[in-house]
Amino acid sequence: MPLLEFEDLSIRYRTDGPDVKASEDVNFEVDYGKTFGLVGESGCGKTTLGKSILQLLDDNGYVESGHIWYDDVLPEWKTDTGKVRPEVVEDDRYPVRDDGMMDLTALDSDDIRRVRWNNISLIPQSSMNALNPVYRVGDQIVEAIRVHEPETPEDEAHERARDLLEQVGIERERADDYAHQFSGGMKQRAIIAMAMACNPDMVIADEPTTALDVIIQDRVLDAIREMQDQFDVSMLIISHDISVMAETCDRLGVMYGGRLMESGTTKEVIENPANPYTMGLQNSFPTVEESQERLLAIPGTPPTLTEPADECRFAERCPFATNVCMNDHPPMYDAEAASDGRSRVQQEADVGHRSACYRLDVLEEMRERAKEEETWQQTETPSSS
Amino acid sequence: MTRISAKYLAQRLIISYLTILVIMTLLFVLLHSMPGSFIQTMQSPDMTGEQIERLKEQWGLNEPLWKQYVDFMVNYQTGEFGWSPHWNVPVWNLIERRLPRTVILFGATTITGFMIGPLVGMYLGWWRGTKRDRSIFTGGLIAYSLPSFWIAWLFIWLFSFELDLLPAKYMRTQFPQEVYGTGFEWTAMMAMRDVLWHLALPLLSLTAIGWVGSMLIMRTVMQNVTEQDYVFLARAKGLSERKVMIKHAARNALIPVATGAIVGIAFILDGAVVIENVFNYPGMGNLILDSVLNNDHPTTQAVFFMLAVLLVICRIIQDIAYTYLDPRIKFGEEES
Repeated sequence: MPLLEFEDLSIRYRTDGPDVKASEDVNFEVDYGKTFGLVGESGCGKTTLGKSILQLLDDNGYVESGHIWYDDVLPEWKTDTGKVRPEVVEDDRYPVRDDGMMDLTALDSDDIRRVRWNNISLIPQSSMNALNPVYRVGDQIVEAIRVHEPETPEDEAHERARDLLEQVGIERERADDYAHQFSGGMKQRAIIAMAMACNPDMVIADEPTTALDVIIQDRVLDAIREMQDQFDVSMLIISHDISVMAETCDRLGVMYGGRLMESGTTKEVIENPANPYTMGLQNSFPTVEESQERLLAIPGTPPTLTEPADECRFAERCPFATNVCMNDHPPMYDAEAASDGRSRVQQEADVGHRSACYRLDVLEEMRERAKEEETWQQTETPSSS
Repeated sequence: MTRISAKYLAQRLIISYLTILVIMTLLFVLLHSMPGSFIQTMQSPDMTGEQIERLKEQWGLNEPLWKQYVDFMVNYQTGEFGWSPHWNVPVWNLIERRLPRTVILFGATTITGFMIGPLVGMYLGWWRGTKRDRSIFTGGLIAYSLPSFWIAWLFIWLFSFELDLLPAKYMRTQFPQEVYGTGFEWTAMMAMRDVLWHLALPLLSLTAIGWVGSMLIMRTVMQNVTEQDYVFLARAKGLSERKVMIKHAARNALIPVATGAIVGIAFILDGAVVIENVFNYPGMGNLILDSVLNNDHPTTQAVFFMLAVLLVICRIIQDIAYTYLDPRIKFGEEES
């Protein structure tokens, strides 16, 4: 059962020139209680997708088309028993679908504000600086609680804030400290505690471990996992670090140039990648088993997203690109079918293992050749000339 | 919870005291390097050399320079400010009456300036790039580049001569019996209203310029602060835009404004001194001009001294305010 569903989401940023196509026709789902990971190089649109869920895009960003469906509605749209009121579903003025899911992109600013933190909370990128330096850490958690539950008495909210801090391994008294008295890892954990303050259904974590050293990373991931078990939240983790993702996510989505290139269970995507980009990305990260091997980088740089060419977004850097790749960006195909020899079966819904690549007909060959160093060097010559 | 320790405060007071000693020395040097001697104004052509010598003797001008300096330093620190040759009263009597008036004008300007400036700066910084931002910003810059006395003349012309709304000079109604009829007596309430009424134009002239400095700082800092992660998080938490702006963004932007105020307050005092003369407002600024023009060195010296002390006191108050604004600043508290 999906809690959150991205349907053909395209996001643009207005600039002085043509709009930047930060994301294009992105489809994926985050299931109840599960963790979905979005991987990709910087600038591929991951963070934009995360921000768009809560309408937190920068001033010049907007959703051009598509929807973000969320499996709950505003309290006043429900009956006493917690079901969606039938007239809300039928009336087109409400952004609610037949199955009772609500379109987050269509809510007005007052309504989305009530969804923020209460239903979906967010651990921002560089949460190192996300605590306000002039307020006590505890007070900032209390603030979140009191916005969404104004009826909670102040001292009860303070108790809850202290409980939350304790759960992420921060002593209760430290709630009276300011952010500058916290270490980096503590700040990060305090934000995780804050994210759970209103008992959300879902948490978006944008690069939760990037600025931390490996040992602290591990502790933060533990805190995330613990909170997840305890509160049974769904998570959307955004990171460029495949090894972090492998550890924490149930499903993975690989983004490139604003497009979703591949999605599937973490095991499938990491062990049997079905997209040249994922294969390249994997080569560039160390694994425990192949620690001595040289790391391979994908030659070239990510594409600029202003007026991208019609061809497959990755074609320019892809060692397997042929003429068929130059016409259009590929749709999502069923990767399992490709492994079984039925080369290209289109699969738009986010189930099983999908990959956007025309060359799935030679999937096995690609997997073999992607492991070889010269495969990736070859592409350097034509693309740089 | 205060973050200022007694130790720090003591240190701060000692430094302030030393600052004042340095200022006094500078004052002494400056006044003694002025051409001529101030007793020249007391001389008349028919005075004999003996009489002039007597005058010099009386005012201590025959003493060696070091002796004069030591006397000056000792006297000032024991509250002895000397005698004014021009008004022929103890200098302290003049200061005593004038200082509170300047403090009223200067204090009122500081309060209005630092209320309006950051508030406007907050809105402009938040709505940066909009038409309203640009026009108010430009207007502020124009006001900022005008001399305060010129604005004061404009206001006098407009509010006093053309509209006849506000008085253009003095601090209170002169000869109230003539205005309100004989047998008129001031009540406390009426006196206060009268003073405020007379304060309006000088205050308006000073504030018209005084708000801009803090607005400029606030506006720029607000622009930076709105891009901070904690502002993003505050919004993600579901706070209203107003709360994000005031509680999370503006509160942080105030810290650099407080830093700027340390310099800004000296300029406000400066402006008050000039404006007093435009409006014939009988405060310290007015007294400075009168005493300088009349070569009344003892008074000049004392007035400059008192203004310096006023600024040093403001600095201490600002330091304390600073610790409340920014919890990251600790003054002298031991790190635990």
